[in-house]
Amino acid sequence: MESHGTAVLFGFLIAAAVILLVMAAIAKSTHEPSIAQTIVQPRGYRLRRGWLWALAAVAVVAFAISLPSFPYGNAATLSGPHFAIVAMQYGFQTPQSVPSHTPIVFDVSSRDVNHGFGIYDPAGHLIAQVQAMPEYVNHLPITFARPGHYLVRCLEYCGIAHASMQGGFDVQ
Amino acid sequence: MTTATALDRAGSRTIMWAYLVTGISLFGLLALVGLAMRAEQAGWINVDPGLFYALMTLHGAGMITAMVLCGMGGLWYLMDGELALDRGIAWAAYVLIVLGVIGVLLSVLPGHFGAAWTFLYPLPFVGATWPNWATGAFLIGVALVMLGWIVWCTQMLGCVLRAYGGFRGALGWDLVFHHRAFEQSGRREPPPFAFGALVTAIDGLLSAAAGMLVGVALLVHWIDPSVALDPLWAKNLTYFFGHTFANLTIYMAIGFVYAALPRYANREWHTSPVLAVAWWATLLFVATAYFHHLYMDFVQPHALQYVGEVASYLAAFPPAVVTIFGGALLVYRSPLRWTMGSMFLYAGLVGWLIGGIGALIDATVPINLSLHNTLWVPAHFHTYLLEGVALFVLGWIFWNLETRSGQVSSLAVRWLTGIGIFGGGAVLLLGWYVAGAASVPRRYAAQPDPGPAIASWASIGAIVLCIGLIVCAIEAVRLARADEVEVAA
Ligand code: HEM
Ligand SMILES: [Cu+2]
Repeated sequence: MESHGTAVLFGFLIAAAVILLVMAAIAKSTHEPSIAQTIVQPRGYRLRRGWLWALAAVAVVAFAISLPSFPYGNAATLSGPHFAIVAMQYGFQTPQSVPSHTPIVFDVSSRDVNHGFGIYDPAGHLIAQVQAMPEYVNHLPITFARPGHYLVRCLEYCGIAHASMQGGFDVQ
Repeated sequence: MTTATALDRAGSRTIMWAYLVTGISLFGLLALVGLAMRAEQAGWINVDPGLFYALMTLHGAGMITAMVLCGMGGLWYLMDGELALDRGIAWAAYVLIVLGVIGVLLSVLPGHFGAAWTFLYPLPFVGATWPNWATGAFLIGVALVMLGWIVWCTQMLGCVLRAYGGFRGALGWDLVFHHRAFEQSGRREPPPFAFGALVTAIDGLLSAAAGMLVGVALLVHWIDPSVALDPLWAKNLTYFFGHTFANLTIYMAIGFVYAALPRYANREWHTSPVLAVAWWATLLFVATAYFHHLYMDFVQPHALQYVGEVASYLAAFPPAVVTIFGGALLVYRSPLRWTMGSMFLYAGLVGWLIGGIGALIDATVPINLSLHNTLWVPAHFHTYLLEGVALFVLGWIFWNLETRSGQVSSLAVRWLTGIGIFGGGAVLLLGWYVAGAASVPRRYAAQPDPGPAIASWASIGAIVLCIGLIVCAIEAVRLARADEVEVAA
């Protein structure tokens, strides 16, 4: 498990910059001598067809890449040792420690309202999370590659002390 | 179909302005609330958490309602030009919504209700730091807003069905499948904004049904706490309602771009078969994408998680390929007049597109695992709501003010508002993206590092943005007070 933060941010910023440049260039084109709509439109529609296929290709590839990394687990990843997590206003009951390099499962539930069980690695990156719900148990399969102390923060708004709702466990 | 004369439409214009002025005033007020929240997160001011979360509840619920009001008024006026509408019904919807907003204000300001707009069962009732009446006032307020919304959606649906010949005509079925025959029959296709009205009415009624169901269930629980609800059921309904309601603000406000941008560009934006099909897709995907709000509920049937990702991706196609692309094509090498109005409409397309990319990233399940409920979420939705929907609304307001007064704003005013709203806004948004990527959670009155440091420079952006909004407001008042000129419609 690792955080995607930096890569995601840069990917997004590059896409945003490209859009800004293209849209600015289009805005600027209004200062050039204008061209009749009947001429611009057919050209634009040809371009649009290419744009549609390009986007469709990106969407299909993104979906295919994402599929194997869906976090919901399968028979293999859900068969390891289970550790119970109970969330409540405003704290978590967690195990003292869990093993590293072993597929384990957190069984996450809540005693009162909806909370979020957000796992922060020793470097402070959010690496995984699952909702902690009353009356339900969410099973989060996870394998820790790095030993150390992991902080848990609440990631679902749960009331006045939501921001200070924390827990933690050691990965050994 | 009757073509109303300018005089006939004075009463309709009054209705539109009532909605627009109420909505935009609420927006202005809640922008200051937003600034206060960001400044509190920066540690500049001290607000106790109870008040912070009450303000957050007010800001979230109120901003969406503000945009909905503006969309309703403008779209109502556009559709009224197609087929004269009953004004009494429009006023009834308006009054219901205003009463609902008053209920929410009462619950939040004196009452400090702070369960967030999502009021996720059983939060409003467990560990509440506010009085019981405030919960009731909030729920009743939301129900009144929903009632007004239902009235409006019903009127819109009736209007499009009568104006274009039932669902078949309003959807543009024959236009798409019997194109030649349709052209020869001389029948008129619905204008682009009418598709927005149709989709908003249908998905809006679905969203209202879900909202009313969960709202009434919560009210029953409020009256008799022994009636228990299923938390997962409530969560699904809440997000179906909230996602759809908020999402529709875009599809209402895009009607303003369809209607006004071509007038600035001196070109035409007509309904093509592709545009009709794009709106069919929107009709479907606006109502199915909400599953992405429950990605982190592993007990949700897994098939729905796949539906959520697919629908979220597909929802991007109509805007990316048809509407935003079409808007850019309309502007390209056109003799467009740059005014406050056209600047806002065009910039809104940019915000919508960029925010959409932020949303798609977050709608990818494995990435959602480390972005869900971080500041990445307010980052992307403020991009298309604040720098998208709100700009469409401002663009529409200025289009009306400019045509009414025959005046435009000076270059200096345009630069000032542009730097304020786009420049300041970009800094505010960037703060959320950076903090979200650094795993800072959303909805934290006091954030872990690096939250507060980022909040400081983001707050400066928010201040610059608010200054831009003030300049914009002053300019709008100036144009509104100028003498009306006769315009050939
Ligand atoms: C004028 C500039 C604005 C500022 C400075 C601002 C600021 C904020 C802040 C600080 C938050 C809390 C974020 C967090 O820490 O979780 C927030 C949340 C939110 N804002 Fe804004 N905002 C602005 C405009 C808007 C607009 C135009 C809309 C909608 C049309 C909007 C809708 C929302 C919603 C729905 C939330 C979520 C509330 C919740 O988490 O329950 N905001 N905003
Ligand atoms: Cu919490």
